[in-house]
Amino acid sequence: MFNVKFRTLRIEVLLTILSKSSIIKFLVLALLFSAGCFLSLFYGGSESIISTELNQYNFIFWQIRFPKTITAIIAGSALSVSGLILQIIFRNPLAGPYVLGISSGASLLVAISTLAGSTFHFFSDFFIGKSVILFSAITGSILITLIILFISKKVKSSVILLLIGLMISQICGAIQTALEYFSDPNNLKAFVIWGMGSLANTTNYDLMLFIPISLIALLSLIFFVKPLNAMLLGENYAQNVGIDFKRSQFFLILISSILTGLTTAFCGPIAFVGIAVPILSRMVFQTARQEVHITSSMLIGSIILLLADALCNSIFKTVALPINMITTFIGAPLVIYLMFRNKHW
Amino acid sequence: MIDACISLKNASLGYAQSDKDLSVLSNITIDLHAGELIGIAGLNGIGKSTLLKSIGGLLPLLSGDIFIDGISVSKYPLAHLAKKISLVLTEKVSGFNLTAYDLVSAGQIPYTNNFHHLKNEHKLIIESAIESCGLTLHQDKLLNELSDGLFQKTVIAKSLAQQTPIMLLDEPSAFLDYASKHELFILLKNLAEKDKKCILVSSHDLDLLVKYCTKLLVLSENNIELINTSEALLNKGFIEIGGGYLSA
Repeated sequence: MFNVKFRTLRIEVLLTILSKSSIIKFLVLALLFSAGCFLSLFYGGSESIISTELNQYNFIFWQIRFPKTITAIIAGSALSVSGLILQIIFRNPLAGPYVLGISSGASLLVAISTLAGSTFHFFSDFFIGKSVILFSAITGSILITLIILFISKKVKSSVILLLIGLMISQICGAIQTALEYFSDPNNLKAFVIWGMGSLANTTNYDLMLFIPISLIALLSLIFFVKPLNAMLLGENYAQNVGIDFKRSQFFLILISSILTGLTTAFCGPIAFVGIAVPILSRMVFQTARQEVHITSSMLIGSIILLLADALCNSIFKTVALPINMITTFIGAPLVIYLMFRNKHW
Repeated sequence: MIDACISLKNASLGYAQSDKDLSVLSNITIDLHAGELIGIAGLNGIGKSTLLKSIGGLLPLLSGDIFIDGISVSKYPLAHLAKKISLVLTEKVSGFNLTAYDLVSAGQIPYTNNFHHLKNEHKLIIESAIESCGLTLHQDKLLNELSDGLFQKTVIAKSLAQQTPIMLLDEPSAFLDYASKHELFILLKNLAEKDKKCILVSSHDLDLLVKYCTKLLVLSENNIELINTSEALLNKGFIEIGGGYLSA
């Protein structure tokens, strides 16, 4: 009796926040999400060894497909939410971890620490090695975000900020190339492949770090729903309605950097998901409520990476294409389109 | 003797810089009371916005202090100050699917829960703010689609929805049509008289200031004066900043 009453009450509250059409849109997204999971789990593509042996199938399912599906979901959510946060912090609808060079910053520090690691052999212990890489990726993200933040105070145009982000990512790329030039051939190949972005390199052991850290980062956003909504109005108005802008900005940069750094460390720099998904979310849900966009960005980001991964694996039977190819094909035209038609910014 | 609602004590306002502070207004001492509609008049660049931002707690003081109801602005917790002072600034807000309604509802942020969930009581306040600014027909439009004048009214409605005893408005009449300018000032005058609010409004429409305000804060070079509106046309500072053209 009480239970039923409670449930109807919750639905009423939900209805006051979301319109009926938004609920339907969320249901459609949830459906697409399940479809994406199904495709990625059962039509894994390249490694589909024709074998009826149960053991082998089990191995492929649990050791290859399962971690890859989970990775796609987490990476998609993390990058999308990170992009959403950056767009709000910079009040620039064209911001994102990849286009602002934040992913490159993370890559560069990962490259440096990997090189140092192989020289000084501190990677013998799995968790120490991974922690060092994660820490450097997050540090790289934070550093570049702070640099971009500093520059954004000086320039007003969102397009110029984008160009500066591009330059920063070129600089990081150049340094990384120099490092690669001096590294030994074994490292080099791993490096280049990692730089193309891949969801397949994450093992179940990696997930033991990837899942909890990203979950904590994503869940901590519950405390920042109101600041995010207020920050859309800019620093002065946010401050005037009682939101500590600087403090919120600090924590949000931290969260966004953790999300980007983490994903980059495990999957390499993945292009355009971070910028495109929040924009798509704003096109689908015509609302300024950021709790809606956080949720829908996580869903849309996961769907895109799950489907992109399925595509990568199914275009050619024998090899899997790098995921960045697909995400760039989706993301880059979208950004160009939006530059011409700026209503949804 | 009524306690001053806003009181500036030897306040120097401006921008702190690493080498040398850029002082815009120095050594101001004035008391402003509840129930007053105070017009701020002064030429471009004299420091009207700086003054309003400093009182609103957005700009740290260079020296001296500003007290709101007896407590220094810098000592207020932000959430508390948000229920005391609302601001209408000249900056633009747009994009991110923000509608006029969203901006007005931001006025209720100090009163809602952590998810900014709008209950009926909040919605009533927002709707009445929208109505008193004549925005009912435009409330669902995106901010990008609003004209400058309608946007201005939206920010004013946000300030009303904030329900603060003190309102600071920076050139709110700048983009309004002639009728709306008068309606705005009539609205502000009513708020000051009936709700006993303390309202500071800066404007270049000197005729409106003289017609509706109870007091004028005249900012001219080297001199800051708080005068009664009735003395305005005889005041040297006010005549210098353009009041002289009003006499006809």
